[in-house]
Amino acid sequence: MPKGFYSTLIAITAFTLIAVAVAWGQSSESGSSRAVREAPGEFQFVRLAYSANRYGRGGWGRRQMWQTDWPDAEHHFLKGVSRLTRVAAAEQGRILTPLDDNIYDFPWIYAVEVGYWHLNDQEAARIREYLLRGGFLMVDDFHGTWEWSSFVASMQRVFPDRPIVDIPEDDEAFHVIYDLDQRIQIPSRMFIYSGVTWERDGYTPHWRGIYDDAGRLMVSINFNMDIGDAWEHADWPDYPENMTALAYRFGINYLIYAMTH
Amino acid sequence: MFEFLFKYPRDDYARSELIYTGDWPPWLLALLIIAALAGISWFLYRRRDFARPPQMLAVWLLQLAMLAVVIWLLQQPTLSTEQLRAGENVVAFVLDNSESMAYGESESRLQQAMRSLSATLADDSSLELSVQHYELADRARLVSSFLESEASGTGTSIAASLTDVLREARFSPLAAIVLSSDGADTTGGLSFSDLAEIAGFGVPVHTIAVGRESIPEDIELTDVMLPNRALPGSTITARVSIRHDAAASTRLKVYNGDDLLESLPVDLQPDTKNTTVWVNIKLADAGHHHIRFSVDGIPGEQELRNNSRSTLVEVADQKYRVLYFEGEPRWEYKFMRRALNDDEDLQIASLLRVSPNKFYRQGIESPEQLENGFPTTRDELFVYDALIIGSVEAASLTDEQQAIIHDFVSERGGSLLMLAGPNGLGNGGWGQSRIADVLPVRLPPSTTNSFFRKKAAVVLTPQGADEQMLRLADTADASRKLWSKLPEVADYQVTGNLKPAAVTLLQVMTDIGQLPLLITQQFGRGHCYILASGGTWRWQMSMPVEDQSHETFWRQLLRAMVAHAPNRISLTASGDGGSTGVSLRAEFRDDAFRPIDDISVTAIVTHQDGDSWSIDLLPSVDEPGVFQADVSPTASGNWYFEAVAERNGEPIEVARASIHYESGQAEYFNFRRDSLALQRLSEATGGRYLEPDELDALPDLLRYSSSGLTETNHRAIWDAPAVFLLLLLLKGGEWLLRRRWSTI
Repeated sequence: MPKGFYSTLIAITAFTLIAVAVAWGQSSESGSSRAVREAPGEFQFVRLAYSANRYGRGGWGRRQMWQTDWPDAEHHFLKGVSRLTRVAAAEQGRILTPLDDNIYDFPWIYAVEVGYWHLNDQEAARIREYLLRGGFLMVDDFHGTWEWSSFVASMQRVFPDRPIVDIPEDDEAFHVIYDLDQRIQIPSRMFIYSGVTWERDGYTPHWRGIYDDAGRLMVSINFNMDIGDAWEHADWPDYPENMTALAYRFGINYLIYAMTH
Repeated sequence: MFEFLFKYPRDDYARSELIYTGDWPPWLLALLIIAALAGISWFLYRRRDFARPPQMLAVWLLQLAMLAVVIWLLQQPTLSTEQLRAGENVVAFVLDNSESMAYGESESRLQQAMRSLSATLADDSSLELSVQHYELADRARLVSSFLESEASGTGTSIAASLTDVLREARFSPLAAIVLSSDGADTTGGLSFSDLAEIAGFGVPVHTIAVGRESIPEDIELTDVMLPNRALPGSTITARVSIRHDAAASTRLKVYNGDDLLESLPVDLQPDTKNTTVWVNIKLADAGHHHIRFSVDGIPGEQELRNNSRSTLVEVADQKYRVLYFEGEPRWEYKFMRRALNDDEDLQIASLLRVSPNKFYRQGIESPEQLENGFPTTRDELFVYDALIIGSVEAASLTDEQQAIIHDFVSERGGSLLMLAGPNGLGNGGWGQSRIADVLPVRLPPSTTNSFFRKKAAVVLTPQGADEQMLRLADTADASRKLWSKLPEVADYQVTGNLKPAAVTLLQVMTDIGQLPLLITQQFGRGHCYILASGGTWRWQMSMPVEDQSHETFWRQLLRAMVAHAPNRISLTASGDGGSTGVSLRAEFRDDAFRPIDDISVTAIVTHQDGDSWSIDLLPSVDEPGVFQADVSPTASGNWYFEAVAERNGEPIEVARASIHYESGQAEYFNFRRDSLALQRLSEATGGRYLEPDELDALPDLLRYSSSGLTETNHRAIWDAPAVFLLLLLLKGGEWLLRRRWSTI
């Protein structure tokens, strides 16, 4: 070995580790914990960075499940909100963990692939408090019996005593801005290749929810569908435009509902 | 000394005119003056070698002065004085015999007054005045003497009583009125118009004040202010004022009927004569509630009847309607609606522009309500008691709609709340709109962004700390603590300069200093508020779900707003048991809140025991749509009034009111001597205000009165010692000077 090879290797390794650590730190700061003093808009799309079960953890270059569709889904959706409503929406989304104190500054949060989430008691208590204070949670993109049971397991830690019910057809959530009378399963992009709209055994879409004591929807549960994919691939020519439009409409209705009820 | 030198007292000179009774013709006087001047000058010229010119000038001036005095005496100076003709004039002695005159220690005020009046005549019988005796209470009463007078009048109206005396005596030579009183008037005191009317008779009113201005052994509940209407379950705040002339400790108790609602210790401080206490009262049930306030007596207190006051509060199931017009979906909209959701007395109808082409309605009572957007007619808008305008451009409303909003505040008496937002206040161009006049601030122009999405802490101003609608807890201290712990609001907006009548209740701490956050002012019959933030929702989201600060803030703000708004028809009854009884005021307006005049109004007056009669209310000369009458209750207790408006004999509207009335209780209150009122009365009429130890001056005041039948009295003053002393000084001075200069 040339003279000084090891010392150079150690220096490069140390430098790389420091750089990675700094980058990681900056990334996590920008994602969650920095104090939010100045808001870029009235509505900011917040993606919930939840704790996942052992099947939902990322690793070796794979994204974590809560990151699914990020960042194009919110980027496209926010543009749609600005174009189609009078909501002053921020251009960029934001990522927060359940235990981030800043979560109370954002009364609307979005969680994806919640079949893989695993909320501990502390996180569940935080989500419960957030929702009872007036926050709104939209969950999306989970399919089949197994993911449902996994979702419910954590949700019951949030609200042990509140049932999950089908949202009635006449609920304002389906009419506040668009009358969403048709129940069409919004598929993921895999539909383009496979031609099927379902995943696993989630053949039938369900629009479910959890209500507060005053009859207001706190959690909208979009089961056996993938609204996030429809937002994300809104600019993809092969993805059905009508599915994207419908996904926008559901998202906007949930948002306007959350801002009015 | 003055009288010795000038022969007569100084007051004689003050009230007399100086005239000359000498009958020397002017030409002869002029000839004499010229001859004397020439003689003196010639005399001194002959002796010019014996003295220097300054000495000659001094002697010339002294001799000239001597000559002037002599000529003045030749004119016979005389004092000309107007004085009453003996035996031909009348003086009215007026004795205040209202119940407050019974107060005193060893001697009552009435006894003091009677003694002072009888002493006036006894001092100088040469006046030969004919005396008429009047007792004064709510009206004057002619009596033969004061021997049987008792302090029994249930009210005091000095103005009405004196006017009675002056009118009765207008054909007799009334020289003066002598009023002996404590000045405690139960009609609210002497107004400028009262004084002008009394002074217009030209008769001086001399006042003799009796009683004490300061009564340290007495405390008094001077005033209790609280709304006479409330919503079920709402908390109303009573402002209780206690008058005291010394430091003391007492306890304020509040009763609802026989139930004790509140008992508070009150320390009365020595550095003030008035202490104000705020008490919150919660009235749950609908109906009439007899609320009694009482303070415990202090050691040595004689008059305990002024330690208690009662009032009647009607708790009614009236619903108030609020219209909220919002230009964009936002969190403030959601959380405000949630905060008000459980308040059953407030109906919030909202019109939210969710997309460029769609409005979303909430809280509507029928599918037709707000179907066509923001109201376009007065009838449509004026059904609401309050209007909230959020982040929406002024240009989204027509000129006519803006004019209706202006009238909503100024004529209908509604409350307007303007909220901050990216399209609200200055940004929305409201500063250049038809309602700019209504606003308590001069908004910045829409060309400059004034809205900032930056968090800012909120602080109470001193006025805000006193404002009940901003009380987040039962006590002021607890409320202040809660305010100091509230999270920051999410945003704020710069409002511009305040108008003179504006009051800032809340402020925000921003990068550029403290800015007004909650501002209010009255405009016409209504009120306008500005809340320069759209981010109070953080108080809900950043506090535990159990915390009610956000809900309390919005409920109380909205309740205060609607409480200000008058109803289309109303009847108010006012009166505290004084001599004026109860005043009824009914107001009738149509759906557009325009006054209704083509009606007749009759009030049915009912006592709690069932006695009932009716009385016609007469149209007000000054206020269209207003009808008034005075009622004299025949007994103490609760009185209920029902004003029925009729058109062509058909009843069209009914308004109701109630009051708790204690007959004669006004005399127990505000019974400290009011010297200022008596002084103003004397000054306005040319009379004199006298303390009891100044009665010696009264005979002369009467003798030389400017009113009544008078005669002129001439008195020469040429023989006053001062004149001879002056002559002696002039001549003696000249002699001394000439002797000093050796010119003699």
